[in-house]
Amino acid sequence: MTNLNDFKTRLKIAKKKLKSSYENEDNKGNSSSMGSAFKLSTDLVAHVAVGTIIGFILDSWFDTKPWLIIIFFFLGSISGILNVIKTAKQMQEKN
Amino acid sequence: MATNPMHQFQVHRIGPEINIAGIDLSFTNASLFMLLSAVAICGVLFLGTKQKKIIPDKFQLISEMFYNFIAKMISDTAGSKAKPYFPFIFSLFMFVLFCNMLGMLPYSFTVTSHIIVTLLMAIFIFIAVTVIGFVKHGFGYLKLFVPNGVPVVLMPLITVIEIISYLSRPVSLSVRLFANMMAGHTMLKVFGGFVISLGVLGGWLPLGFSVALTGLEILVAFLQAYVFAILTCIYLNDALNLHH
Repeated sequence: MTNLNDFKTRLKIAKKKLKSSYENEDNKGNSSSMGSAFKLSTDLVAHVAVGTIIGFILDSWFDTKPWLIIIFFFLGSISGILNVIKTAKQMQEKN
Repeated sequence: MATNPMHQFQVHRIGPEINIAGIDLSFTNASLFMLLSAVAICGVLFLGTKQKKIIPDKFQLISEMFYNFIAKMISDTAGSKAKPYFPFIFSLFMFVLFCNMLGMLPYSFTVTSHIIVTLLMAIFIFIAVTVIGFVKHGFGYLKLFVPNGVPVVLMPLITVIEIISYLSRPVSLSVRLFANMMAGHTMLKVFGGFVISLGVLGGWLPLGFSVALTGLEILVAFLQAYVFAILTCIYLNDALNLHH
């Protein structure tokens, strides 16, 4: 049993624990499930929105009005769904 | 009007109007609550680290808990290479958490329910992570947009999709925090309004909802700060340890 009487011993033990948890890199990610639910839902929407905005901007640059916004809307949707699948796979690997 | 559920999000000026080079720099209630949360964070951490006791008092206990929590989160998600970024992520988490929690007090103002605040933080993180990625890996960082094992025919399509995915990071990061805080506070206010308008006879049910929602909102306030910080760690991990 280590002597816990003075603060320095306790600090040393805490630092050692922290160091070992930094070194243990395999132990990746245990975010709460509600947090990942929030992440997944907003990611899906954000990807579609960003895709559409990029399409809109490119459209006004190249003067190709409706086409690029349509293409990028679908690309954004694909990107959103792929991202959700990727995150779900990572979550499965962890468990 | 006090019963307007959106009234609580209005930014108004406190004190004199300050106008420098055509930009309105007046002190508002938003600035006040940002300042308050910064002061509260400094106060808690100062009190917690003033006396190092073997049996910690309340402030020391809570400071140690925050420190351990963030240190473990960084080591779990981004590994040892992310250790130098601990101060940044710690301040980010504490600021978001205290802004959310101060917003839960009656008559207060929730800074994080304004998209400009969350978007600014998210864009800063986005730029910082991109710069870190390029500094650490040079142009090899662009490999992030070209996943391994993709057929050459699909390469342009996948690259465009990956770029969209990368650019949507700040949007999803900021919208998540802002939407959750704003929706929660609007809902609280709406149910509060029901209590008043239904009176003594019918007001008990919405009052119960209000109490339950307050509990939920405190959970969401903590959770959103946690998600904000952990996603920063994940993005940092992508920039530091480049692999798929």
